[in-house]
Amino acid sequence: MSVAIKIENVVKRFGKDTVINGLSLDIKPGEFFTLLGPSGCGKTTLLRMIIGFNTIDGGRIMIDGKVINDIPTNKRNMGMVFQNYAIFPHMSVKDNIAFGLKNRKVPKDEIERRVDEILKVVKIDHLKNRMPQKLSGGQQQRIALARAIVIHPEVLLMDEPLSNLDAKLRTEMRNAIKQIQRQVGITTVYVTHDQEEALAVSDRIAVMNAGVIQQVDTPKNIYQRPANIFVSTFIGLSNILDGTLESNDNGKAVVRIGDYRFQMNNILKESGANRPVKVSVRPEEFIINRETREGIPVTVKNSVFLGVDTHYFVETREGQEIEVIQNSDLDELIPDGTRIHLKVQTHKINVFNEDGSKSLIDRGVRA
Amino acid sequence: MSDKKRLNMWLVLAFAILVLFVIFVVFPLGLVLYKSVLMEDGTISFDYFVKFFSKKFYWSTLVNSFKVTIVSTIVSAILGLIMAYVLRSVKIRGSKLLNILIVISYLSPPFIGAYAWIQLLGRNGFITRILNAIFHTQLNGIYGFSGIVLVFSLQSFPLVYMYISGALKNLDNSLNEAAESLGCSVFQRVRKIIVPLVTPTLLASSLLVFMRVFSDFGTPMLIGEGYKTFPVLLYSQFMGEVNTDEHYAAALCVIVIAITLVLFFLQKYIGNRLTYSMSALKPMEAEYATGIRNVLAHVFVYLVVLLAVLPQLTVVVTSFLETRGASYTGKFTLENYRNILMPKNISTITNTYLYGLAAILLVVVLGVLISYLTVRKKSFLTAILDTLTMFPYIIPGSVLGISFLYAFNKPPLLLSGTAMILIISLCIRRMPYTIRSSTAIIGQISPSIEEAAISLGATERKTFLRITVPMMMAGVLSGAIMSWITLISELSSSIILYTSKTQTLTVAIYVEVIRSNFGNAAAYSTILTLTSIISLLLFFKVSGRNDISV
Repeated sequence: MSVAIKIENVVKRFGKDTVINGLSLDIKPGEFFTLLGPSGCGKTTLLRMIIGFNTIDGGRIMIDGKVINDIPTNKRNMGMVFQNYAIFPHMSVKDNIAFGLKNRKVPKDEIERRVDEILKVVKIDHLKNRMPQKLSGGQQQRIALARAIVIHPEVLLMDEPLSNLDAKLRTEMRNAIKQIQRQVGITTVYVTHDQEEALAVSDRIAVMNAGVIQQVDTPKNIYQRPANIFVSTFIGLSNILDGTLESNDNGKAVVRIGDYRFQMNNILKESGANRPVKVSVRPEEFIINRETREGIPVTVKNSVFLGVDTHYFVETREGQEIEVIQNSDLDELIPDGTRIHLKVQTHKINVFNEDGSKSLIDRGVRA
Repeated sequence: MSDKKRLNMWLVLAFAILVLFVIFVVFPLGLVLYKSVLMEDGTISFDYFVKFFSKKFYWSTLVNSFKVTIVSTIVSAILGLIMAYVLRSVKIRGSKLLNILIVISYLSPPFIGAYAWIQLLGRNGFITRILNAIFHTQLNGIYGFSGIVLVFSLQSFPLVYMYISGALKNLDNSLNEAAESLGCSVFQRVRKIIVPLVTPTLLASSLLVFMRVFSDFGTPMLIGEGYKTFPVLLYSQFMGEVNTDEHYAAALCVIVIAITLVLFFLQKYIGNRLTYSMSALKPMEAEYATGIRNVLAHVFVYLVVLLAVLPQLTVVVTSFLETRGASYTGKFTLENYRNILMPKNISTITNTYLYGLAAILLVVVLGVLISYLTVRKKSFLTAILDTLTMFPYIIPGSVLGISFLYAFNKPPLLLSGTAMILIISLCIRRMPYTIRSSTAIIGQISPSIEEAAISLGATERKTFLRITVPMMMAGVLSGAIMSWITLISELSSSIILYTSKTQTLTVAIYVEVIRSNFGNAAAYSTILTLTSIISLLLFFKVSGRNDISV
C-alpha cells in the first residue's frame, strides 16, 4: 500500500532566480529517503513542491503514476512534520492530533480510537489532554509526528524535524522516528543538513548542492564511495591531495602523490593514464609510517587526544594542512615538530578527475 | 482549479476593503483638496492659501500653534524622561498605583484637563481665590500661552514616560555595570549610556506628542482665550457663527495635512536612523535609595503624578458639588448625576457605548483581515491597501470630520447627522493603530502553523477561522480594549459630526463646559473616567501585563 514518488525534470523559480532546474528523482515505496545538503541548496524547496506549498514551475511530480502538480495541498493526503513543530497552541494534544481526521469527516468514535492508537505509537498517551505550550520540544515533536501520520497519509514529509532539539534528545528522537517509520511503513521524504542524522535514519540519501542532485545512494556508499569531491567533503571529512594517475593497465593502476607512489586495483579502465587527479583521503584512512621514508613527508603541528582516537594536525612540505585520525594506543603521542610519513589505505581512498566532478573508482571491483 | 478559486476569495476581499477605503478616505480627502483650490466662480487657484499667508491674523495662529506645541513637547519630554528613569532606578512606594494613575491621566481627553485647570487656576479658580485672599493680589488666572502649555505638558508627558519606560526595560543592566566597572560615576552613566540609548525612543515619542498637541483644538479653545491656535482657527472657520467659509476651511485642512505629513516622515526617518535593537537578559532593577536621594525621588514622583491626576480629581470632586450656573454653592449633592441620567439625557451615555462598541467591532474585523492580507497575501493590491489604511494616521480628527461632512452631505451617500457617520469616522481614525498591532501579532505566528493545518486537509478559509484567528485573539482583544478607551474619549471629529441625537460623552462634556454647566460636565467626565479605569483594569487582566504601549 506504500506509494512510489517520481519526480521528473521539475523546475522552481523565485522571481528571476531559478532555484531548481530540471531535477529528477525516484523514491521507492516505503522508503526512508533523505534530501541532504547545505542550507540554500534547494532541499526544502523540493520538499515544499512535493506537498504543494510551492508551485511546480516545470516538469511533474507523480505519486504511483498519478500527476499531482495541480492537486491543492489539502487534497494531497500527505503528512508533514515542520522544523518548528507547528503545533496549534490553542488546542489540546488530542485536538491537535484529531484535527486532520475531523477535516476528513472521520466518525467520532473512530477518531477517538485512532488518536489513542497513535498516541501509544509515539509514546505520549499520558499527555492526551494536556495543552501543548508547557510540553518539551521532544514531546511537541512527537505530537507533530502523530498528527502527521494519524491521517494515514500516502507520503510523510519531514523538514529538519530535529534541528530545534538538543543533542541528546536529537539522537533519541532520531531513533524513534526511524523506528516509527518502519512500523508504519509510509514512504518518507526527510530533509536535513545534518549528515550524521541523514546517515543514521535513511534507507537512501540524495545529496544536493545548488539545486542539483550530486549523488543518490545508500548511506554506506555515500560515505565510502562519494561520486564527486563535493560529496566526499560534505559528508564527513576528506583531505584532498593533488596526485597523478601514472599508469592504468589490466586493473593495476599507479597513483603518485609527490614522491609517494602506490598501487590501486579499482580505477576505472577508461580513466586513461598520465593525468592529474585529486586523491581524497579521510583522516582515518592514513597510516602513519615512522620506520621508513615511504609515504607523504609531513611535520606534526599539533595533536588532540580524544580517548577512542587521537587527531594529528600535520603539514606537508608544500604547506597543505592534513588531518589524521589514529586509534589511540598506549604509546606516547607523537611530539609536535616530529617529521613523519603518511601512507594511505589504498582500498579505502577515492580518486577523482582533476576538477573533482567525477569519481574514477570502479565500484564493480572489490578493492 | 479550486486553488485559483481560493485565491480569488482573498482577492475579492482585498478589493472590497480597498473600495471601502476609497469611499471613506480617498474620496473625502480628495474633495478637501479639490475644494481648497476651487474658487466660487468655478476656477482653480491658490487664492485661499495666499489669503492665509498674507494676513497676520491668520498666519499668526500657525506661529502660535508651533510655539505652544514646541514648548509643551520639550517640557513633556523632559518630564517623561526623568519620571521614567527615576521610577525604573529607584524603588518608589506604590509605584504600581502611580503607573496606573499616569496612564489614566494620559487617556482622558486633553480639553477636560483644560477645563479642570480653569476650575483650579482660572479667573475664579479655587487656587486663584486662595492665593488672592492670602496675598491680596488680583491674579487673573492662567489663560493663553501658559495655560495651554500647562495642560498639554501634564497631559502628554505620560506618553513619553510610557515609551521611555519600555525602552529602559529593554536596556540590559550589564551595560550599566560595564560602565561602572570602567570608572563611570552615576551621572556620567546617565549622560553617556542611558540617554544616548533612549534617544531614538525619546525622539519618536516626542514627535507623537508633537502631532497630538499640534492638532488638538479643545484645549486652546477653552483655556486659550485670546491666544488663537491653528486648530481653533480651522474649527471656527468651519463651524463658527460668523464668516464661515468652507473653501477656506478646506485650504486650512490641506495646510494641516501638509504639516503632519512632514512630521510623519521626519519621525519615520529619525526612527529608522537611530534604532538600537536591545533585549535585556537582566533588566535594570529599581533599588531602594537612602537619605536625601530617596526623599527627593519620592517628592518629585508624587508631585508630578499629583499634578497629572489633579484635573481628574477636580472633576470627580466637582461632580458632587451643587452648582448654580457657573458657580458652586459649596454643598454636596447628587443632583448633577440625576440630571445626566435623566431619560432624555441618558442617550449621551448609551450613544458613547454603542458607537464605541460598533466601531471597535468594525475596526477589529477589518483590521485583522487587512493585516492578514498585507502580511500573508502579499500582492500589488494589498500593498496599496497597506499604504492607504495607514493614511488616517496623519489626518487630524477635525480634518477627517470636515472632510466627511463635505463628502457625505448629499445623496447617494447622505450620512451626515447619522450615527453611522460617527461610527465610521471613529473606525477610520483607529484603523492604523489596530492594523499595526494586528500585523505584529500575525508576524509572531509562524506560517508553518497554517501550512500544517492545510497539509492536514483544512481549507484556507477554515485554517484562517479555526487556527489563525483563535491564535490572534488574545492580542487582538487587548488591542481592542485600548482602542475602546481611546475611542470613547475622542472629541475632534465627533464635535464636527454630531447632532443633538448622536451626542456622545466627550461632546456633551465640551458642550456643557461651553454653556458653563460645570456640574453636568463634571458628572459626565466622571463617568468617562470611570469607564476608562474599568476598561484599563480589564486590559491588564486580559493581556496579563502591567504596563501599556500606545
